[in-house]
Amino acid sequence: MVVGDVTTAVDVLVLGAGPGGYVAAIRAAQLGHRVTLVDQGPAGGTCLLRGCIPLKALLSSSERYAQVRSEDLASMGIHAETISLDWPSMQAWKQGIVDRLAEGVRRLLSGNHIDYVQGTGWFINSREVRVEGEYGSHRFKFEHCILAVGADAAAIAGCSFDGKQILTPEQALAMPELPASLSIFGDDYIALELATLFARLGVKIKLYSPGEQLLANVDAGALRLVQAGLRKLGAQVTTRATIDAINDRPVVISQGVSPHTGGLHLDAAGIETTANGGISVNSMQQSNVPSVYAVGDCTGARALAAIAIKQGKVAAEVLSGQRVQFAPLVTPLVVHTTPELASAGSSAGEATQAGYTIVTGRFPLAANGRALTLGTDNGAAFVVANADDGTLLGVTLVGPRAGDLIGQGALAIEMGATLTDLTEILYAHPGLSEAIEESAENALGRAIHVLSIS
Amino acid sequence: MNNAQASSISSTIHEFKLPDLGEGMHEAEIVEWLIRPGDMLKQDQTMVKVETDKAIVEIPSPVAGRVSEIRVPNGQVAKVGDVLITFETPAPANTTIPASAESNGAAATTPSSVSGEPAEQQTPASRQRVLAAPAVRKLAFELGIDLAQVPASAPNGRITIADVRSFAENSSTASAHPASSAPPAEPQPAQPAQPFAQKESPPAAVEERRPLSGLRKRIAEHMEHAWRTIPHASAFDEVDGGGLKALRQSLAPAAEKRGVRLTYLPLLIKLLIPVLKEFPIFNASFDEERREIIYKRAYHIGIATASPEGLLVPVMRNADRLTLLEIAGTLEHLVEGARARTLALPELSGSTFTLNNVGSFGGSSGTPIINSPEAAILAVGKLQDKAMVQDGAVVVRPVMPLTLSFDHRLIDGALAGAFLSRFKELVENPLQLMLDMA
Repeated sequence: MVVGDVTTAVDVLVLGAGPGGYVAAIRAAQLGHRVTLVDQGPAGGTCLLRGCIPLKALLSSSERYAQVRSEDLASMGIHAETISLDWPSMQAWKQGIVDRLAEGVRRLLSGNHIDYVQGTGWFINSREVRVEGEYGSHRFKFEHCILAVGADAAAIAGCSFDGKQILTPEQALAMPELPASLSIFGDDYIALELATLFARLGVKIKLYSPGEQLLANVDAGALRLVQAGLRKLGAQVTTRATIDAINDRPVVISQGVSPHTGGLHLDAAGIETTANGGISVNSMQQSNVPSVYAVGDCTGARALAAIAIKQGKVAAEVLSGQRVQFAPLVTPLVVHTTPELASAGSSAGEATQAGYTIVTGRFPLAANGRALTLGTDNGAAFVVANADDGTLLGVTLVGPRAGDLIGQGALAIEMGATLTDLTEILYAHPGLSEAIEESAENALGRAIHVLSIS
Repeated sequence: MNNAQASSISSTIHEFKLPDLGEGMHEAEIVEWLIRPGDMLKQDQTMVKVETDKAIVEIPSPVAGRVSEIRVPNGQVAKVGDVLITFETPAPANTTIPASAESNGAAATTPSSVSGEPAEQQTPASRQRVLAAPAVRKLAFELGIDLAQVPASAPNGRITIADVRSFAENSSTASAHPASSAPPAEPQPAQPAQPFAQKESPPAAVEERRPLSGLRKRIAEHMEHAWRTIPHASAFDEVDGGGLKALRQSLAPAAEKRGVRLTYLPLLIKLLIPVLKEFPIFNASFDEERREIIYKRAYHIGIATASPEGLLVPVMRNADRLTLLEIAGTLEHLVEGARARTLALPELSGSTFTLNNVGSFGGSSGTPIINSPEAAILAVGKLQDKAMVQDGAVVVRPVMPLTLSFDHRLIDGALAGAFLSRFKELVENPLQLMLDMA
């Protein structure tokens, strides 16, 4: 018994203030609960503070830098004399965005009267959590608990991260100085984005992909365009690589994440986990212990903030008595390379393997007016549909703003739209969305701006 | 201080709903639960027998777990989608088991055929996704409804919110409770003394009501429909069964040696087939909606059979491709299976022409009702000796009455007469079959 140990009864206790946790906390508060949110640091989690946002910010700034340096501007009649790069300033700019978003989350939390406790929590039993922070130790007896403690970069055998020679993606983003060269080992969107970002900034990049392809389960045609883009940036790309063969340093290793559940003392609560240490949950985000939920990376789910956000809402709604589940048909995936790549639903290969007879359509951006006015002709839209009834099974976009356009594809698939639905509506012209429409028309054999061989 | 670890790992409740067992069934009567609340079940262990349109189907357990609650007791009727039973299992899982996904493959007698056609195999390749917008899926989950069970009102199969709500309403309609029969009145004690005094007793129950259920209900619905939609006419004839008798007598011992009991019915079926081929309209059915005659190219003969619960018509599929011995063997199996209620749904549906052996019931002949949607039905009566006139003299002959009921929209009297004549010709000279034997 610790002197001064007080047990506080709480309604909803959320561990972890990343996108899963803070969203769950806010939804629970909206539904009338008193919420206590616990995190080691400020609110925001990996996504906001160390991961997604820093990465996307640097991708934007590096894209501007690369565009300004390229010959394309001169052909438009724009001449820039002296272009220089100040990495520390770019990092500061990135940090400014992070800080602004973090402040926004803090305001939302306080506006929803959520108690924020800085510290680390773990289970004492199935109804109580101990939290220790700078201020001291606290015991919380909860009615409901949502675990949103996230995950860490997965290590691989023989390579321990030292933050200087062998880096996690987060560490790469926080480098105080730009290296002359950088090797990246991975076949996920993070590896490709890191390669893109640093290559744009003039770093000599070697990208090593352990798989056959740069990305699994993506249409080969789309990948070819992305790979060409990387090469154009001067990146050297090798597939079927093994980590032992890589001697260059520094090297960034992006091989997924492992759930950060080790310190939770889950056994004290009897909470079951899956093989990789993720908390085992059903589609309603319930663990095997009643009133304990888990969302996001710590469940072993695909490490995407979009998933954590939705699962956070589901958990808050379920504990409030609603009967809802996390069961999306489609997870949109975006890779911010040049050209940008985004997909929703199945690739042609996946759909065929699932047993569908498919029909596919393709439309090159070189035939799209908006793309050309954006100064790019590199890209394409791909659709995959069920040959029996025309329902959309998958959309892949390669080109500018693909990540922002893919929502149309995701919505269409979720709504059960057919190729005909896509081609019946109006699209703003000139617009990148027209590429989606024309790829659907191509699947129907009648795209206007592409000559078919009949 | 060491708080005890969380006691037992808590369990999850699974609900199991009555799956769609095919053939357009909407409900089934629970015949018998083979397990009780509290029992531990293994996955796929047979747990209940339910009766659908005609067949009794055994349903296996979808999970391994403890039986928590039986929601629909023996004798009650459940609609497709009703929760029949709940289980407790230790591991966390989805809270409802989509009934169609679990049970379609596992149900002991899953029907897979359509009348006349060979069973269309659902290959793993032809997966059809349920088309429903996200808001519709959300509602379905909220109401605990499996979208695969919901009929879509739109022709393209897209399920709407309205579809889900109306399915939910229909599923929750209380299942029919059998009306209790009026208790027999208890006679009041007689007034003492005057023997002529009126006994004061409440009126004795003059009638007792019982609802139609199970097979009887199905038969009633089927007969109502057949009688209402088909203009019945009947043609009668009598057949000299001498040749038939002789043939059966000569073949029976050889059949017996091969383990098959040869009665008259297999012979009649064999003799019927060529006549059906010569008169295709009798092996057809009428599509009321499209006003089209569907000529069937397969010959599936229904055999009207009495079961303890009522009339069943097991079907001998592709009777034209069976040998006489095979017909006899199959017939035994079908009749026995009908009586014991062990036949599967494909064996009880899909006939193209029906034969009704009314002679076996008692009484000598009868007018049958057509087994809708067929075009005709043939009743054969009892084969018995009768006095007949031949060449001016009275002789004793074994005679079998025939009654052919036919759909007068499709078949006229003349054709019915011709059909009967041809059948009679073959029955009286059965060896004629050899002329066309390949």
